[in-house]
Amino acid sequence: MMVQRGMEIAENRPFSNAKLGVLILLGAETMLFAGLIGAFLVYRMGNVTWPPLSHADIQLPRLVTGINTGLLIISGFTMFQALRTIQLDKVKYLRYYLLFTGALGLLFLVIQGSEWIQLIGKGLTLQSGVYGATFYVLIGCHAVHVLGAVVWLAIVICMSWAGRFSSVNHTGVETCTIYWIYVVALWPILYFLVYFA
Amino acid sequence: MLQKMVLTILITTLIIVILPLTLEACPSCKNLNEPIARGFNWSVMFMMAMPFTVFGIIGGSVFYTYRRANRDLKT
Repeated sequence: MMVQRGMEIAENRPFSNAKLGVLILLGAETMLFAGLIGAFLVYRMGNVTWPPLSHADIQLPRLVTGINTGLLIISGFTMFQALRTIQLDKVKYLRYYLLFTGALGLLFLVIQGSEWIQLIGKGLTLQSGVYGATFYVLIGCHAVHVLGAVVWLAIVICMSWAGRFSSVNHTGVETCTIYWIYVVALWPILYFLVYFA
Repeated sequence: MLQKMVLTILITTLIIVILPLTLEACPSCKNLNEPIARGFNWSVMFMMAMPFTVFGIIGGSVFYTYRRANRDLKT
């Protein structure tokens, strides 16, 4: 009786523990990225010329990354639509939106990876000074988060195929959406900071 | 009693004399006109704002969700 009452209270709670847990995780992630951006600001503002003269010939691929940014923003929109559809109990559309979001996330990672290969070929590596180190650490840290979000999304897709979500019970989709949108929202800040500052 | 008072005044005077009048808080950002000092300054400001932003967003979203739920219950 007590357990049932406890479960009823948990179900009726407007802010689930899982959602709060994800928000606290994102708070910690924000502090991590704040530290990395802080380090970038010190190096960027500490150098009168940026990129430093040692890397003056290296041009970051702004256009391709801009298109990639667009793809990631679209994935944020499709992820939000996935949440909307499950709230309306349209499980079939949920799967389509989730698959499309995952494909866009993977495409983002593939394009980022190909850019990195080109930049390493031009001589910009993690060991090639402050410019390379800040670039790869900031962008790489975000890419790891996108990879984590894609893995999380893959689990949610498997769960949706197993029929685990409904309009009443969709905490898994909701938490994954929060994390995905965080990763998407963070990217334009990093893009403008690293590629245009 | 008088000896103790004189001794206290002497020690206090000595400490005041020994201590420098001006202090430089941080060797990295003592001169704000240098680029690296400005970088440190902006970086510190940015990171200082982050905990407030994080707690504000988390607290705000919890508050907003509960307030909306209460409003829905009343209507």
